[in-house]
Amino acid sequence: MAERQPTHTHSDPHPLIEARGVRKTYSFGAVPVEVLTGADLTVQSGEWVAVLGSSGSGKSTLMHLLGGLDRPDKDGGEIRFDGQPISVSHGKRLDGYRNKDIGFVFQFYHLLPELSVFENAMLPGMVGNWFTNRSKARESASRLLDSFGLSHRLAHRPGQLSGGERQRVAIARALVNSPRVLLADEPTGNLDTKTGAGILDLLAERHAAGLTLIMVTHDPAVAARATRVVKLANGRVVQPS
Amino acid sequence: MCVAMVVTVVSVMTGFLDMLKSSGRQIVGDVIVSSGIAGMPYSDEFLVDLKGMTDVQGATPLIDTIGLLRMPYPRGNMKEVTHVQVWAVDPLSLATVTDYANDLYWKPPTDAAAAKAMSSEDPRKTLTEGIVTDGKTLTQTRTGTPGIALGMHVSIGNERQKDGSYLPRYGWFMPGNDVTLTVVPVSSQGKIAEPREQIFPVVNEVQTGIYEVDHLRVYIPLTEGQRLLRLDEAPLYDLNAEPDAQGRYPVIGKTPARVTKILVRAKPGVSANALRDQVETAYESFAKRINEDHTRTASMPEFVNVLTWEQQLRDLIAPVEKEREMMRVLFSLIYLVCAGLILSIFWSIVVEKTRDIGILRSVGASRLGVMWIFLRYGFIIGVFGSGLGVLLAWLVIRNINAIHQAIGSDAPPIIWIGSFVLTGLCAMGLVYSIWRGRLLRILLWLLGTMVMGLIATGLALHHGTLIWDPSVYYFTIVPDQVDWTTAWTTAIGGVVFSVIGAAIPASKAADIDPVEALRYG
Ligand SMILES: Nc1ncnc2c1ncn2[C@@H]1O[C@H](COP(=O)(O)OP(=O)(O)OP(=O)(O)O)[C@@H](O)[C@H]1O
Ligand SMILES: [Mg+2]
Repeated sequence: MAERQPTHTHSDPHPLIEARGVRKTYSFGAVPVEVLTGADLTVQSGEWVAVLGSSGSGKSTLMHLLGGLDRPDKDGGEIRFDGQPISVSHGKRLDGYRNKDIGFVFQFYHLLPELSVFENAMLPGMVGNWFTNRSKARESASRLLDSFGLSHRLAHRPGQLSGGERQRVAIARALVNSPRVLLADEPTGNLDTKTGAGILDLLAERHAAGLTLIMVTHDPAVAARATRVVKLANGRVVQPS
Repeated sequence: MCVAMVVTVVSVMTGFLDMLKSSGRQIVGDVIVSSGIAGMPYSDEFLVDLKGMTDVQGATPLIDTIGLLRMPYPRGNMKEVTHVQVWAVDPLSLATVTDYANDLYWKPPTDAAAAKAMSSEDPRKTLTEGIVTDGKTLTQTRTGTPGIALGMHVSIGNERQKDGSYLPRYGWFMPGNDVTLTVVPVSSQGKIAEPREQIFPVVNEVQTGIYEVDHLRVYIPLTEGQRLLRLDEAPLYDLNAEPDAQGRYPVIGKTPARVTKILVRAKPGVSANALRDQVETAYESFAKRINEDHTRTASMPEFVNVLTWEQQLRDLIAPVEKEREMMRVLFSLIYLVCAGLILSIFWSIVVEKTRDIGILRSVGASRLGVMWIFLRYGFIIGVFGSGLGVLLAWLVIRNINAIHQAIGSDAPPIIWIGSFVLTGLCAMGLVYSIWRGRLLRILLWLLGTMVMGLIATGLALHHGTLIWDPSVYYFTIVPDQVDWTTAWTTAIGGVVFSVIGAAIPASKAADIDPVEALRYG
């Protein structure tokens, strides 16, 4: 906290997310694969960044690192959120970061099959800490699902929903704790174009309301809706010309 | 289940122990002062001392020896002779120290209802209060002769019935019969003198409930015992003087009568151990007083054993205690099985739910949070299972005598016929499910049919066997009190082991890496 004050000036507002020289190596048996070789990415508050790149270029890996689901290599750079490093300490800090500061949307929804739509949506509000305010999570979940047109399916199980509906539940879940950033790894990758467009409209609406978005996609048409496009190649982030 | 078993077994064993201990106390009092076979003189004076102590409820003198008892049976000249442990007692003060008076078995029914509960041949129906009085005084009032009271199982004449009552076997109702008791006096030098015998009428029989005691012990009046064993008051001869013409030494006094044991009963709330120390001190000062008094013709033995009843009955109690501890240890192994069971079930749940756990972690659940989910379930299962176990044990223990009875007798036809009917129903279910062709149902019904069939056949073939044969176990009824200490510790142990069993899968769950889980899930 103390070190944060000096860097925080009006003339130079620090970026919301800042990845610097991030390296990630998967040691797969004897052969280590360096997927990220020093990726830099700076995202300002209110941006909508689309991340492009060929399959296997490390897009998901980067997203996992940005989302605090995984950690960079030792001495493999640093990721800052709101000026503070997220990956320095173990455990609790990352849990809180995942829970409150960001929302994560996966390509394959990843909803809990035993829980209802409503319970899935309010999940981050329930697991956050020991004394979470459930009524707040409940209220926020029902408002989100309502605005996503799912109010009539609250008691259904995820298995009874279509892909697009599931992804909307997943987005509601990602937003339920009002994070400042939404990380989405190919949110439309598993959907047909029309449904995907619906999801994008929804995300655009949120972006317009002030949400910072970082989104992985293969589809240039999808990328076109973003305010900025970056590309991953050779383990680095490059700005496409 | 495990908890139920542990609690039941340990409770019953503890019950046995407690019964053994409390009846032990009822039989020998709290503290026993015992001297060698030569006995202690001046016991009356010591008893006065003892009774004057604030913590003493009562005290009684006693001679403890072994003897042979010639029984009145069988008819004919060859009579059966059995060895017995003879207690020569003062029956009235004995009743203040032990439960002697209450333990007299033969007494008339207290009221009409009690009489009605007895079987038609029960000899107690025809008894009068006289037999109790005779037993309490060890005197046959009718003839005025000193009587003997036998332990309930000394005579083969008493046949135990299923309800715990006794009927005379072959017509040998002992009270009123004469028995001949032979004992061997032992001099203070340890020399054995001529055996002496005396005929006693049996005045009553005594049931302490401890078989070990009841099949050996007989009670005769103290004065008779003293006389038979030459421990009574006797003239004291001056061995230094010249013998007279008949070779007799001049009499210079009397040696006092002796006893070999003194039983002391503590006031309620006084511990046997505390009393033991007091009695020991009291004896020391008493012995000092007597031995410094030169007008006395006898001296107190320097060493006497002052033991609490627990120390005295060590031989009886220790094996049961050991057995119980063995049981505890053996059954504690069941804990490990339980913990292992929970562990493997939870483990497979964790493996199955890896992806879901990954999702929970990805939305911000902490390791502890994930762990807590599983620990909580382990805890709930533990609490629930333990509670159920204790409840089951409680039910079983409270009804253990009835269950024991039921096992001891043939299964009532209605039950086994009922079981056969149920078997038939299961078989019908089996046929129906075969017809419907549902594999799981077929299997379940088949299993049901087989199990019910086995139960029904078993019940139909079952003939009563008494598990706790009173001639093997000390007690004639099975204790039916739950040992709550054991119940609590076992239940808490059950919970702890469930949680431990859950802890390992829980930490595995906590270690799940969200990215890995979601990638491969
Ligand atoms: N746990 C792992 N162990 C070994 N290698 C891994 C692991 N996770 C990812 N990789 C490798 O890292 C590289 C990048 O994977 P990543 O999933 O980030 O690619 P991506 O850009 O998201 O691809 P796609 O567009 O197909 O989703 C791939 O070659 C992959 O095989
Ligand atoms: Mg990917």
